[in-house]
Amino acid sequence: MDKIQLTGRSIEKGIGQGFEKLINLGIGTEIIYSFVIIICSLIIYYSTKELYELTKHKGIKYFRLSFLFFALAYFFRSFIKIIFLYFNKQEIKAILPFFGSITLFIFVYFSIMAIFFLIYSVMYKKWKKQSTIYLFHFTAMIISLIMTLSGFPLQWYLLLNLLLFIFIAFTVYAAYHQSKKKKSLNLYVIYLLLSIFWIFNILDIIIPSFFQTFQLIIYLASLGIFLTILYKVLKKTN
Amino acid sequence: MTKRNRLEIIRDILKMIQNNHNIKPTPLLRRSGLSSSRFKEYYLELIQKGLIKEVIRKSKYIILSEKGQRFLEKYQTIINFIDEFEL
Repeated sequence: MDKIQLTGRSIEKGIGQGFEKLINLGIGTEIIYSFVIIICSLIIYYSTKELYELTKHKGIKYFRLSFLFFALAYFFRSFIKIIFLYFNKQEIKAILPFFGSITLFIFVYFSIMAIFFLIYSVMYKKWKKQSTIYLFHFTAMIISLIMTLSGFPLQWYLLLNLLLFIFIAFTVYAAYHQSKKKKSLNLYVIYLLLSIFWIFNILDIIIPSFFQTFQLIIYLASLGIFLTILYKVLKKTN
Repeated sequence: MTKRNRLEIIRDILKMIQNNHNIKPTPLLRRSGLSSSRFKEYYLELIQKGLIKEVIRKSKYIILSEKGQRFLEKYQTIINFIDEFEL
């Protein structure tokens, strides 16, 4: 019988492989992660349907649209991720040049619009101009186009996402500052965290190697945020 | 007295219709506490959204629709939701 030699190096190698397995998430994990978030988003969308139909309230409309767009974005995101894992490549355009670019464009566009709609749902009373929403669509399209096109240095993508984050953080802060109900700080913290982790999710697709070690943490944090919002929605809509 | 918001005005109009069966538009306008132009805006909006219905017998009466009834039942939930998410 072979004697198993437990040397310091073999233990280290074993732990290393285990950790590598843990951080290199498989198709199963991707599907479960996406499925839970899509379901959460759709439950939020449908559980607020009646409230919107009865009131036609603009805030409820944009809040619902935000989660519909999150669901759509996650659907395309999971598609891209599964393609990555299936072909063991890190760039969708290298696998499916035309179809991949379109999928990537749709994913980034829906993602950015989801965050914009969420922000707009709390700021629409201040930003009364109808053109604001067209400006959001236009900005989301430009960002999606830049992220879809190849050839830009990595720093460009990072800078673009940083600018997006600064805009969101500033708007969320302004919304909190103008809020009559100062006790609702946790709502704005949730929105800010949702935006941060959503940007991480975009970066995870655009630059797949960027978050390799922290991928599981990002997934768990994103799930936690979506489940918290779902809980709040269900609590208030009975 | 604080200024009523849009949803509060709608609730008040619907409650008046609920409590006064077969109310006519003019008494409703008087009781709503709104100017005639604002009342007309709300009145048309409520008809358009299907929250109230006009019934013409000998004269014109207003009744609450099923959707209007549902609005009143759900009013507190709507307000709580809007308040929770600062919409």
